[in-house]
Parts: sequence; C-alpha cells; structure tokens
Amino acid sequence: MSREPDRETIEQHLKAKGVSRRDFVKYAGALAGTMAFCSIPAPVGASGLPEALAAPTPDLTPLIIKALEAKPRVPVIWLEFQDCAGCTEALTRSQSPTLGDLVLNHISLDYHETLFAAAGFQAEQNRDAMMEKYYGQYVLIVEGSIPTADNGIHCTIGGRTAIDLLREAAAGAAAIISTGNCAAFGGLPKADPNPTGAKGVWEIITDKAVVNIPGCPAIPEVTTGVLLHFLVFGTLPELDDLNRPKTFYGQTIHDRCLRRPFYEAGKFAKSFDDEGARKGWCLYKLGCKGPTTYNACATIKWDAGLSFPIQSGHPCLGCSQPNFWDGGGFYQGQSAPLGRPGVAAVGTAAAAGAAIGAGVATANRVKKKQAATADTGENA
Amino acid sequence: MDWNQILDFARGPFFYTALMVFVGGLAYRVIKVVSLGWSRDRAPSAGSKTVGVAKSYAKGFIVWPFIPWVKQTFAGNAVTLIAGGVFHLGLFAVIFLGAPHMLGWKSLLGIGWPTLPLPIIDWLAAAAIAAMVALAINRMANPLLRKLSGPAEALNWLFVFLPMVTGYLMTHHLLFRYETIYALHVLAVDVMLIWIPFSRISHFVFYFFSKTIHGAQFGKRAVTP
Repeated sequence: MSREPDRETIEQHLKAKGVSRRDFVKYAGALAGTMAFCSIPAPVGASGLPEALAAPTPDLTPLIIKALEAKPRVPVIWLEFQDCAGCTEALTRSQSPTLGDLVLNHISLDYHETLFAAAGFQAEQNRDAMMEKYYGQYVLIVEGSIPTADNGIHCTIGGRTAIDLLREAAAGAAAIISTGNCAAFGGLPKADPNPTGAKGVWEIITDKAVVNIPGCPAIPEVTTGVLLHFLVFGTLPELDDLNRPKTFYGQTIHDRCLRRPFYEAGKFAKSFDDEGARKGWCLYKLGCKGPTTYNACATIKWDAGLSFPIQSGHPCLGCSQPNFWDGGGFYQGQSAPLGRPGVAAVGTAAAAGAAIGAGVATANRVKKKQAATADTGENA
Repeated sequence: MDWNQILDFARGPFFYTALMVFVGGLAYRVIKVVSLGWSRDRAPSAGSKTVGVAKSYAKGFIVWPFIPWVKQTFAGNAVTLIAGGVFHLGLFAVIFLGAPHMLGWKSLLGIGWPTLPLPIIDWLAAAAIAAMVALAINRMANPLLRKLSGPAEALNWLFVFLPMVTGYLMTHHLLFRYETIYALHVLAVDVMLIWIPFSRISHFVFYFFSKTIHGAQFGKRAVTP
C-alpha cells in the first residue's frame, strides 16, 4: 500500500486529535495484546512493510507502531441493510479512550448511514465518489442481513435493493467485514419463517473472503481488532470454517466462563432468584448456550471489560451462532430437543403402532387357527 | 450443510421422527406380545402372587447387583454379570442423573429433578463404556456366546455404544469441535431410538413383563423365584 500525498497517516491524524506519543505507544501495545499475536501472520509481505519488520519477533508492539506511523487511514464504507444499528451503537458507545474509540480515528469512515450528517443524493454521490477513488483499497463493513426474496425488494435504499448495493460495493473492496449476526448469518431477519429470504453477506459474495464477526451486537473490540489487523498487516486474520477470526472465535463461552467450575461441580442456579443465582452458580439449567457458542465475551467482555451477560447473571443466548433465533427457547436447556411433540402427536404414534400390532396379532391368530384346523383335518 | 445445521436437524425434525417411531414401535411390540395371550392357569393358589412378584423384582434387579451370591452369580459367566451390572448402573445414572440429560427429560415431560455432579457422572460413564468393551470382548471370546451372536447383537451393541462414546468425547471436548460431536451424539441417540423397539434393547419394557408374570406364577405355587 503506497502512501498517497493527500492522505494523512494514522499517527499524523492522532497527533492532530491531541493523542500524545505515550498514549499512542500504549495503544499499540494494547492492540497487540487484544489480537493475541504471538507471531506475525505469514503473508506479512503483502502489507508493504519493510522486510526488517517482517521478521518474527516476540513483541509486535514496535511493528504496530511503525505501521500506524507510516500508513494512511483506511477508507471504510459501512453499509446497513436489515439491521437495528446495534453493532454501530456498540462500536461508537465505547467509552474514551478505548480501542474502539481510537480505531474510529484510524479509519476514514466515508459512508455510514447512521453516523453521517449528510442525507439523500449527496450522501449517495459521496459514497460513489469514494468507491471510485479508492477502488480496490477500501474496507467494506456490512451491518444487517440481505433480503433475497422477491428480487430483494424488502430492503431498498435510494431506490436500489440491498443486494444490488452490496454487490456494487463488494466489487471494489479490498476487504469485506460482516459485523453482527445479521450480516454474518442472517440473524433475526432470517428467523423462521424468514419472510424476506434474508441471507448473510458471505452467502452472496462468494468470490472474495468475507470476515464474519457474528454477535448481537458484535463485540466492538473484535471489529476493531480485525480492522487493525488489516491496517497493520494488509491481510485478513486467520479464519475458521465459518469465516470467523480464530483469535476471537477459537473457544466457546463455556471454555472460558468464570462460572465453569460450578458446572463441573454440579452447582446450578435453577431460577433467577434462588440461592444458586445469588451465589453465582452455573446458569446451564436456565438455558445457557455457552457450550456451543464461539465468541470472546468471556475474555474481552463488554463495556471496556466491565462484564458480560453470564457474569451479570443471565445465560448466554448464543447470539454469535448461526440460526440462534431458531435454536430453541432462550431459557430452555441447551441439551433439550428443539421441539416438544404434543400429546396428540405421541398419542397418534402410539395408536398407529398399537393398531398395526393388533392387526399383525389378529393375522397371526387366524393363521394359527387355520394351521390348527388343517392339523386336525390331517390327523382325522 | 455445516455441523450446526446437522445439529439442528438432529435435535429437531430427526429427533421428533425418531421419538414417534420409538413410541409407535413400542406400542406395536407391546400389543403384539400381549395378543399372544397365555393359557389359563387352573391350579389352586398355594401362595401370594404379590409376594412372588415382589421377590422376583428384589432378586432380579434390586438385590442382585449388590449381593451377587444370592443367585450364585459367579457360577455362570462372571464377566457378563459384573460388566452387565456396571454397564446398566452407569447407563441409568448418566441418562437420568446427568444434568444435560435431565434437561432433555424436563423439556419432554415437563418435570425436572436433582442431578449428580459431573465428576461422578463422568466416572460412571467411563465405567459403563469400559464395561461395554469388556462385554464385547467376552462375547467374541466365549464360544457359547459367539454361537448366540448374530448381526442383531452387534448392532445392539453398536447403537448403544455410539451415543455413550460420543457423549463422553463431548463432555471432555476431545477430538472434535463441540457442535460436531454434539451433532454426532444426538444423531446416534436418534438412530438408537428408532432401533430400540425392534431390537432386544426393548427388554427395558419386556423385562418387567417377564419378571411380573414369572414372579406371579412362582408366588402362586409358593416357590421362591
């Protein structure tokens, strides 16, 4: 990535914003920690960094400092489709000076429907101009699912369908990030019966790697961590089979849960106000989906590391997993079957079985009787 | 189709279908067996049928696993009896007193009950799995048992062994990702549910038939079963 004269570097930008060198270095260290780097990602050469810096090192802080000093801010186009803007809320409401806050200074957010002051054709024109100017360089962040039913008419912006806007923006994107469960896996709009035919970005854009950062909302530090990875190394972080960054989605909530010892010991809260709940016991029996949920809530936590749902006494809903809305009741045990057959269904099955049994038994008796008659006939 | 979708299928429609086959299949078997009928016993009663039934159960499965010499247990094939007892004990503890399983029952029956801590369930599960391996080896090694064993016996063993071993791997997060092994576990359970009514695993119902009928007959004749 070459440095353009008209684009200020991240350090210049931060300096102009009044961030001291000391804070800048501290911040670079914190970033290395958040992203849990123990070595430089392999395709570091593509990042355009000097070779000396690309050598393996136990401490990545200097590398991050150099990269932030030398690189221009990354243009970002943020598209919202079938969403609630919750991921944006989560990202922007981080208390200063958090990583999220600083990252917003690192990127040049050129189009964001919730945040920008412009509206109407001017805003659209600005987006088109940015996409043209930074073709092949900008990061596309998508929030919200994409409706595909009825030619995509269930979500249109400026008279164009979401799917059309997405395809156009994706064509010139250097990296695509789906933030939140909706953009990643369809989220709430995809819940049964999925009237809009909602899909995640990676189901539509198949010719480019899409980083999925599921969650409801996505953890701000994860979004910023992925952005920073792209910014520093020029590549996307290592992804798992659901295209989630392994660094953040490598372990389940259950694996890192502070209440895990109570699970092992068989100490469970059975209601939200019993002794177990007051003592902070495991919430598994209250429907916690922690064992099948991959996310970093238990380690990074929320609100600048203050807490996360399980710590605050509520079971995990599994909001970063595909189809979590259809994954059984939030307060139903995770190991329970998804549906409960009604008495009528069980009764019908039993009656059908009994009827067949009675039929076969009758046939057998008739056969036996006939055989006996034949026997008697032969003997006589 | 990824493992999450397979898991949803196994916990959802496939489980539902398997449960219906299980219920319908058992009803079919029970009606068929009961319809066989039995001849009228005209002998005068010499003792209490109720006492006979109670004794039959006490010796059959309440006393036997704990006081093995009551029925000269070791006179037969000791491995069958010891491993069989350990297996059944572990199985019942795991499926009724393990927290995740209790939640499954609760969602189906609407009532829950206290559960045992994981380490206890875990050891019982390990013992049950080890007992199953011992039983399989015993069955293959013993000439008499080998003659009695066909494909149905092998499948009985397999369809019970798979849920147990996948459950154990899942609990310990071994070899697979959690959703993968969880999906395999539930799939194995679904297959077992379909298989049970049409196999000898249905002894969990018919055992009680034979214990009751034999106990009553022995009791009536005032002989100790």
